[in-house]
Amino acid sequence: MTATPIGSGVESAVRAQEGEDGPRPQPTWEKVLRRTGRAIIVAFWVMVVAFMLIRLSPGDPVSAALGADAAPDTVAAARKALGLDVDPLTQFWNYLTGLFRGDLGASLISGVPVTEMLRTNMPVTLWLIFTSVTMTLVISLPLAMFIAMARIPGLPYLFRTLTAIGLALPSFLVALILLYQFGLIWQVAPIFGYDPTFPANLQYLWLPSLVNCVVLVPVLSRVLYSSILDTLEEEFVETGVVRGVRWNRFYWLYVLRPSLAPTVVLLSYMMGVMVGSTVILEIIFALPGIGRELVTAVTMRDYPVVQGIILVFGILVVFLSLIGDIVASLLDPRVRLT
Amino acid sequence: MTITGAGTADWFDVKGTVPTPKNAKRLKDGTIGLITGLFLLVALLVLGIVVPLLSPFEVEISIDTPFLPPSGTYWFGTDGLGRDVFLRVFSAVYLDLGVALIGVLIPFCLGTIVGIGLAVSRSKTLNAVAGSIIDGINAFPLLVLAIALIALLGPGLQSVVVALSVTNWARYARLARTRALVVKQQGYIEATQTLGYSKPRTLFKHLVPNVSSETTAYALSDLILVILLIAGLSFLGLGAQPPTPEWGAMISDGRPNFQVAWWPVIFPGLALCWAGVSLSFIAEGLTRRERDVKS
Repeated sequence: MTATPIGSGVESAVRAQEGEDGPRPQPTWEKVLRRTGRAIIVAFWVMVVAFMLIRLSPGDPVSAALGADAAPDTVAAARKALGLDVDPLTQFWNYLTGLFRGDLGASLISGVPVTEMLRTNMPVTLWLIFTSVTMTLVISLPLAMFIAMARIPGLPYLFRTLTAIGLALPSFLVALILLYQFGLIWQVAPIFGYDPTFPANLQYLWLPSLVNCVVLVPVLSRVLYSSILDTLEEEFVETGVVRGVRWNRFYWLYVLRPSLAPTVVLLSYMMGVMVGSTVILEIIFALPGIGRELVTAVTMRDYPVVQGIILVFGILVVFLSLIGDIVASLLDPRVRLT
Repeated sequence: MTITGAGTADWFDVKGTVPTPKNAKRLKDGTIGLITGLFLLVALLVLGIVVPLLSPFEVEISIDTPFLPPSGTYWFGTDGLGRDVFLRVFSAVYLDLGVALIGVLIPFCLGTIVGIGLAVSRSKTLNAVAGSIIDGINAFPLLVLAIALIALLGPGLQSVVVALSVTNWARYARLARTRALVVKQQGYIEATQTLGYSKPRTLFKHLVPNVSSETTAYALSDLILVILLIAGLSFLGLGAQPPTPEWGAMISDGRPNFQVAWWPVIFPGLALCWAGVSLSFIAEGLTRRERDVKS
């Protein structure tokens, strides 16, 4: 983030983007375009990593999946079906062209195409991520704002201590305890099952999302808190005070909006951690998402499914962090995207 | 407890007018956190030695009726196979922390070497290709990539360490490379050239220590994540296998009977939190002290 000389409040910082005063920063469209270009390159390497992972495995994936006593004919047929009987470069070419045709191969066990699996299971995972992020933001924003602005002695210290503890809590333990308390003792949440239609699915998703909050809120509110403290030292905030800006405009536009940018960048960085924890949560809450499919496929050694799902997870994280970075640059035009 | 808005200027601290006693107090805060963390960690490590030595019970052998609640004899109760949970929880200390330490040290060394190597090398193609592969690996959630690698290697703690080494080095490499590029521009590196120091001397005495101070700070917070990750993988049945006393595996083991007996799940969980919280306090204390020294 580069500092722009700020003369007359936050409006000028926003205007600086159009080049009206100060040195001309990158235009937004150029930043977005560059960042998207980089995301596409990374997505390509994600494909390469997902491809190499299976080929680099010690031992033969096919005989491992079919068992040591499988007939050589069956193994050869399976290798042919997987396209493993040609040289690696041709394999990579077939894999890439297959991807663009929307063909990710089929399960070794059930024969169901991987794309078919994704179509049924992906929405569950996406919904879980969406509700988790929304809940995290809804909790973190007022919390960090309150602790930064309410000058209660000792409160920041308590906040830091509690978040330091929160950072170290294992999500699967929190999930088990909450599932037991809410699902079995109070019976306010279903302990398994899922309903794919929109308002009904929230009933199944709120508790796993809450668990994700326990992991994410400490990280996020901490960064937001120190970011608000930094913002309060900026000259445009002083200008706002001197000008006597109305309090709600002051909080939202002068303090919160510039403070949000580092938080959103962090959130996009945390997406990887969160997508990972959804895998565990889907298993504990018996949600039919792709994370659960991944673990099932791993235990069954179903390689095409493993390859397809990790590819989708990788692309998902690349895409989510792209969105995060773009949102951050829209919130604070001083943010530079590389 | 009022939030005063703009206009009443009393909430606004003008930078530089903060009196020194406040700074002195903040230094103390960081120290308290650090000492608490170290105390908790040392206590856990001591219990990890003492409990298995003094306990009259066996770690992997049934000693009494399953699911006895916590009592004077069995402080943490007995698990589904009638084993003493207290003994098993503290037998796992060195396994959990040791595997996590190895799982951090290998990627730490590997990543730092690769990162510095990339920053020092002049080859653009090498930098572009290696940089892209690093970005590609970093794009995957660590847990997902580790799970996929364990699919290839077969479940077990060795596979977990291998999976961590293969995936996590990229994060250190990116950090070390960025840091090394900054350090390379510093005056003191230029000075070593002016003074005619040999290249290895500049590299190992000046570049490496300055880069690794940054990656070490990251490694400490990474250790917490890795401890949780190893327990998480074992919880999924992909890490430590059942008879082994390991916190994640023990939680997974006690989970089907959680309604009947909470103690085989909660106590290993608390031990896991204990390890994480102590490290988290240490990391927090260190960063706060450092910030105090700087400002």
